[in-house]
Amino acid sequence: MTEIKNAHFTTLKGAYDTEKMDATLRVRRYDPETKKSRFDTFTVTIPVTASVLDALDAIKDIHDGSLSYRKSCRMAVCGSCGMRVDGGAALACKTPMKKFVDAGHTITVSPMGNLPVIKDLVVDMAPFWQKIRAVKPYLDTLDVDVPAKEWRVAPEDGDLIHKESLCILCGCCVSECNSMESDPEFLGPAALAKAYRFIGDSRDKDTRERLRDLNGAHGIWDCTRCYFCNQRCPKHVDPRDAIAKLGAESFKEGFTRDEGAKHAKVFVDSTYKGGYLRETELVPKTIGPINAIKDIPFALQLARAGKIPNPLSPHKAKDNDEVKRLWKLLEKEAKGQPRRATAKHPDAVQGD
Amino acid sequence: MQDRYAYYPGCLASLSQKELDSSTRAIAKKLEIELVEMPSVTCCGAGDIHEAKPDYYLHISARILGQAEQMGCDTILTICNVCTLNLRQANKALQEDKAVLARVNDNLMQVGAATYQGGVDIRHLLWEVSAGEGYDRFKSIAVKSLEGLKVAPFYGCQILRPAKILGFEDSDRPQSLERLITACGAEPIDYPAKVKCCGFPIVLAREDVALGELVQPLQQAKEAGADVIVTPCPLCHLSLDAWQRKASAFAGNDFQIPILHLAQLLGAAAGISESELKFKRHVTRLTPEVKGKLKLPSVVGIEA
Ligand code: SF4
Ligand code: SF4
Ligand code: SF4
Ligand code: SF4
Ligand code: FES
Repeated sequence: MTEIKNAHFTTLKGAYDTEKMDATLRVRRYDPETKKSRFDTFTVTIPVTASVLDALDAIKDIHDGSLSYRKSCRMAVCGSCGMRVDGGAALACKTPMKKFVDAGHTITVSPMGNLPVIKDLVVDMAPFWQKIRAVKPYLDTLDVDVPAKEWRVAPEDGDLIHKESLCILCGCCVSECNSMESDPEFLGPAALAKAYRFIGDSRDKDTRERLRDLNGAHGIWDCTRCYFCNQRCPKHVDPRDAIAKLGAESFKEGFTRDEGAKHAKVFVDSTYKGGYLRETELVPKTIGPINAIKDIPFALQLARAGKIPNPLSPHKAKDNDEVKRLWKLLEKEAKGQPRRATAKHPDAVQGD
Repeated sequence: MQDRYAYYPGCLASLSQKELDSSTRAIAKKLEIELVEMPSVTCCGAGDIHEAKPDYYLHISARILGQAEQMGCDTILTICNVCTLNLRQANKALQEDKAVLARVNDNLMQVGAATYQGGVDIRHLLWEVSAGEGYDRFKSIAVKSLEGLKVAPFYGCQILRPAKILGFEDSDRPQSLERLITACGAEPIDYPAKVKCCGFPIVLAREDVALGELVQPLQQAKEAGADVIVTPCPLCHLSLDAWQRKASAFAGNDFQIPILHLAQLLGAAAGISESELKFKRHVTRLTPEVKGKLKLPSVVGIEA
């Protein structure tokens, strides 16, 4: 086994004394000149405390100086080292190697998905930045007398956008976004979490404009709720939850014309009217009567299999008046409240 | 596994996917578990109410959970991924913040609805039968070996992710369906899209984006040689089954692959009759070959 001569291990006081382990990694390589990709397997001796990034550094120092990847902070702050570890995007510097070595498992390291590969593990982040820019990622302050020194935000208002403020723009959430695979133009989880960070900011004045832009093609209603973004985000931003909050803000501001919003509205109305979902209304109310008629052959297929319940006898839950009264009560309560710092959104739960 | 659950079939199993409800009831009987009806529950909102009216969603969820509590049940049995995630998300929000729970209960009381004390768990049928005592119970009733049947498991998103709310198994490398397929004597087929999305939530609003997602499991399962796909989610089922012809046209490839609900696969292995499993309610019909491999007892004179 080759001994590590990597500078950053030697500078760590006592690093040479730490226990070492042999780790094997399968790394996806891509050569932009030949346009060919392949997998290389390397074994390196690293401290037991090493991360995937440390292992890559060891490979680069000892075996192959041409291995390319991004890094900077080494402490999960800069967002440079996003890559796939066994198929799932993660920060290489935040992923310890020990658990894999202990399990006798050879990890596969490959570039993030949904972004073009430039070389080896380096992806082109240009489409990512373009989407971040598209949501106007800066404050447009309210037309009020801005305090000269500092503009204090009430803690309750700060809490509303706390999670979204934690984003380090690493791209891990985008890597496995299922809607983006299918529609590359979809704004995607990182940009939408960023959008919410400003829409939810009590000092910003562009709420309606911002929401209007997000309610069109490739906007919030493109999200298929696969929850890969929440699963992958190394900073617990939970972008899918931010998208749900954008949906709720859109409803509050009356942006309900997108097919996605209409779809959501059918669900709301159905509990209110009958308890269970009125599926017969879902198709025509979502895509409109004209499009629904175009889909008659499809509707007939469903009807033949008994998939379209009789519209004359929609399911009705017992005691549904309770739900009606509940709806009225909450609507009344919401009207009396200021737009921000309202009741905590159920997804604003902190500290996970 | 428990002997008694509050049973929350959700709207799809109560309406367009009745075959799932009927298969579940039949398999529950064999497993000797009592499913207690919840007559006045609403839809969980499928994530849509959560998105449009989060506060209302929290209240209707608390009302559902409160009803289970009042029936003396500490566990709700679900048969839908989306119900499972939505009820568990609400449960977490209510259990973790006493002030939120108090406010919701106050409102529920005002409208005369059941309040919620915070003591209910939500479990999907898949979790209950794929591990522990439930798995043993299933093994003992799986009397028919479905040998020769190649089954592609399709998990769907909302039983795996986000793991901090679901957390039953490794969300990237789940094995519960494979375990049950093997327990049925059938052969599990592996393919990458088994943990991805079927596109259902946006199939009406963004059909092309959704079909781009839906073709992946269909294509990969077919290429891997699967006879059928099995899923624990009626929404995934609707997408994979009812939208399959559209997906075929979209991909230029006639998939023709029957989709089974988890309860139907378990039911076939437990020797439950076609009249209860109701495969005729599927848009993509079972081929005679698959029917043979499922070893369905043909009951003379009963329309399945
Ligand atoms: S939940 Fe929505 S935004 Fe997040 S990864 Fe899935 S499709 Fe993309
Ligand atoms: S939301 Fe999370 S995963 Fe996405 S870019 Fe920000 S920090 Fe990275
Ligand atoms: S699955 Fe569906 S549609 Fe159904 S109860 Fe849950 S949300 Fe309502
Ligand atoms: S695969 Fe699609 S429909 Fe099925 S649970 Fe996931 S989001 Fe829902
Ligand atoms: S190197 Fe900065 S986040 Fe990993």
